[in-house]
Amino acid sequence: MATPKWLVVARNQYRITTSAIRRIRAYFIYLAIGLLAVYVGFIAPAIVSPFIDDFLAFIITQAAVPLVQIILFMFFFFMILFPISDTLRELQTGQLEIFLAAPIKPSDVLLGEFLGKMPFYAIAIAVVTGTFTAFLTPLGLDITQIATIIAVFVITFLSAFWIGVVIAAVLRTKLGKIARGKDLGRALAVVIVLPMIAILYAIIGGGLPEALVNPGTSQMVRTALSVLPSSWGAEIFVGFASNPGNIGAVGFETLTLFGGLLVFFAAALWVGTKVANRAYSLEPSKFTSSVAKPDGFFYKAIRFVGGGKSFGSLLSSIFKDYSRRLENLSWIVYAVGLVALLRIFISDPSSEPIDQLMFLSEMAMPFLAAFVVGTVSRGKETLFIFKKSPFGIEKFVKARLVQGWLVAVPIAAALIAVLTILLPQIRLEYLLINIVWGSLRTLTLVAVVLGLAIVNPIFGEESRERNMGIILNLMVVLFATIGLEIGLPRIGLSFGRMLPNIDAFTVILYDHILLTTVFSLVGIFLLYIGIRKLNKIE
Amino acid sequence: MKVVIQTDQLSKYYGKGGEIKAVNGLDLKIYEGETFGLLGPNGAGKTTTVRLLNCIINPTRGTATVNGYDILKNESEVKKVTGLLAESPGLYEKLSAHEFLEFMGALYDVPNEILTERIEDLLKLFGLYERRSYLLEGYSRGMKQKILIASALIHDPPILFFDEPTSMLDPRAALMVKDLIKKLADTAGKTIFICSHILPVVEELCDRIGIINQGKLVSIGTVDEIIAQTKTQTLEEAFIAITGGVEEKELLAWREQKSGNP
Repeated sequence: MATPKWLVVARNQYRITTSAIRRIRAYFIYLAIGLLAVYVGFIAPAIVSPFIDDFLAFIITQAAVPLVQIILFMFFFFMILFPISDTLRELQTGQLEIFLAAPIKPSDVLLGEFLGKMPFYAIAIAVVTGTFTAFLTPLGLDITQIATIIAVFVITFLSAFWIGVVIAAVLRTKLGKIARGKDLGRALAVVIVLPMIAILYAIIGGGLPEALVNPGTSQMVRTALSVLPSSWGAEIFVGFASNPGNIGAVGFETLTLFGGLLVFFAAALWVGTKVANRAYSLEPSKFTSSVAKPDGFFYKAIRFVGGGKSFGSLLSSIFKDYSRRLENLSWIVYAVGLVALLRIFISDPSSEPIDQLMFLSEMAMPFLAAFVVGTVSRGKETLFIFKKSPFGIEKFVKARLVQGWLVAVPIAAALIAVLTILLPQIRLEYLLINIVWGSLRTLTLVAVVLGLAIVNPIFGEESRERNMGIILNLMVVLFATIGLEIGLPRIGLSFGRMLPNIDAFTVILYDHILLTTVFSLVGIFLLYIGIRKLNKIE
Repeated sequence: MKVVIQTDQLSKYYGKGGEIKAVNGLDLKIYEGETFGLLGPNGAGKTTTVRLLNCIINPTRGTATVNGYDILKNESEVKKVTGLLAESPGLYEKLSAHEFLEFMGALYDVPNEILTERIEDLLKLFGLYERRSYLLEGYSRGMKQKILIASALIHDPPILFFDEPTSMLDPRAALMVKDLIKKLADTAGKTIFICSHILPVVEELCDRIGIINQGKLVSIGTVDEIIAQTKTQTLEEAFIAITGGVEEKELLAWREQKSGNP
């Protein structure tokens, strides 16, 4: 008897996913099970044990159900996002033709792709479930309650992964067929995580747990989230935690909610197989290509900034290539979004307003610098175009630097202006000084990040590789900023120490000028080294 | 002679109101054991035709039969009797050559007891047996093309579609592919449908040629017949005469007009 097609696809998908660990593939499953057993049996209880008392006090409060609802919703949402984000980053429709030319049903392909990744989904589910059950074990839940909780988590999260796989397959096909699909996919993959970061920040620093103690707020959140299957699991979880060893107390409620979860999972599977035909198709949806308009005022201004001659044209071309990629624009949205979320949820309202501003500004500038010039070029071929021309690398780096400035500096200045205006009783001169200081610092950080990017160039088109490069460069400038802020005064390089008679504001200002000078020198040095390196690349 | 591929007003339109006619009213008959070449400039409709005949996309109008099976009614059967080397296929680069062929064989229901031996035979035939465990991401373009051809042959279909089979290959690999196609036609009795815009390949391999332009089949016959129809000397001239091209005198006109410029 022939092997079922979904199993063929699943086996293939598993091989692809485990390609990087193919040497241990044969015993990977056993290794994973062993490690998970250790995690669930020993590590998770050890991690949660310091919080058990707080948990016991919390579980009987008004906030318990809605907060567990929110946490489970976060995991549910994340598990939907994971396959989507993974697919959007690297849209590959080439393999579609293999499946479409073969005698296989689209639903088998979809199921196979899902099952092939199942071991990895199972690991994620086991870690989350193990952590939650570790909280419950000290309460004295009976075996039926524990088993029910595990089943609830498995069904909820499997539904989420399945929904994610289905949406990812549909998006892959839809976006893969349009000219800008890959770019759009990558852009979505960047910004799609912002809502989850918002929830996370709200829990960590936004005072959400405290707000939920209020019966009105608690009920509102509970009602709003009650339509989600993750909330049904939360109700069961809190119900058992409040009635350990007494399943009868919440028997009917549990049965109803658990039944609802099963129906939801079955419905998700059914709908998924029905939309599979749409998910696997090479029929073009629309025949439009992006058309470049003649240069308007903006690009004429860019040319003018570049000197109007050949460098002006070069700068304008580099700028067009940058700004026409949605992925690049999505990184800017991401940077601004992160700063906004930090301002709303994380920035400590009890601290001095000027400290809040400093904290947010110190975050905003590296974010923008790293997200705008964090990688060099797409593919070595682009670089070789420059290498072929006289002083091409120098022109290329100069153009990227100016382009980075033209993008990052105005946004940083605007962000800092808004953050400053939000402070109470702000004076105009402070506002102007902040804008000038922020712009200068961003100028130097762009040079530093670009220098880092060309010293350690990443040419790959793969989004994952490029994103790693961006994050690495971000970490370097972020920690360098924090390190220098703390380190320079410690070695005596502080105007406060050198000039004890000046006021505190001037000290801060002078210290920032000093730091900006240090960054300028580092940036120039890195750019010099980087240009030499790019010239030597073969 | 038995007709194995027959199209009946096969058409595929795209865009609003079907204003883009990728394939327009194609009527074609291809006989068993024949090597047929579909020639055409870029965007003429060659790949769309191949995709229609392999049930990858559905026609807007008309239909076709492949080995007696209707592409609209017997999709699975059509797919089983055809092998396809797509123009820009997606390889699973994280699989080894052996793993990829094993996957393709399983997709086409090749029994396990035959599959292993067939994979080994194909890998030996293409000179890749020693590298069978290497991931495809490390293969050259030519080697990848060989693997893709092997995957099209894995279920031993009677009809083979090769979409631009030599366009990415170096001369040695191209020669090997051409020899293989000849052998498949001559000794294995396969019916072969080749799409290409590389005229010498088609001229050398094909018994008959069809020229498609803007979705319409504009000429069909042997190479000699097509040359005779157009009253030209070579297939290249005939192709230009049929599909249109830039006149020689126009080619450097821009330079003469601006000869004063550096």
